[in-house]
Amino acid sequence: MWKIYLIKMEQKTRITLKYAWVFGFILLGIILNYLNVGGSEFVGFTSVGSWLIYVGFMGVFIITLQTIFKKKRQTDERMEFIATKALKITFLFLIIGAFVLMIIDGIKTIIIPYHMFMSYMICVLLVIYFISYKFLIWRN
Amino acid sequence: MILKKNKLKEYREKDKMTQEKLALRTGVTRQTIISIESGKYTPSLPLALKFGRIFHCNVEDLFN
Repeated sequence: MWKIYLIKMEQKTRITLKYAWVFGFILLGIILNYLNVGGSEFVGFTSVGSWLIYVGFMGVFIITLQTIFKKKRQTDERMEFIATKALKITFLFLIIGAFVLMIIDGIKTIIIPYHMFMSYMICVLLVIYFISYKFLIWRN
Repeated sequence: MILKKNKLKEYREKDKMTQEKLALRTGVTRQTIISIESGKYTPSLPLALKFGRIFHCNVEDLFN
């Protein structure tokens, strides 16, 4: 139901929601910096707030570029079918990867900050999704 | 389930219709038409019904 609503959502509403989301990041970053919360170094930034502000501004930049240059793409049921399949493959990789990491951690403790681990994991999942989608499109 | 054999290409050629035109009429991409004709992809029921309406035949005539 939620997915159908997202697909049918008007383009304008979607852009507004995206902007609201990234401005929320910026606002949260300013609040955290003002309250001096999370002052230690975070992903190469001076604080969590600064990082959130950076992510927010990057988001504004990307959404603006998307709005200006986005072409109208035709998507059909086959593409949706392949996207669902790619999502399933990514989820399977996540489960297998988590299992392998548990074993590795048992053998030798993984010493890596949680935020770094999560950012690596998200990047890897995105890459797996992209590769599996492209592969399935090519095969079908 | 994948239906390896179908008569979509046969019906399309009989109607002298290009893959591009059929894709435009059914609201899918040309790649989807290619995939269906080669038996790599099985269309959904609404799409199969659209084919039937376009070629004035039953879905069973198109897809065995």
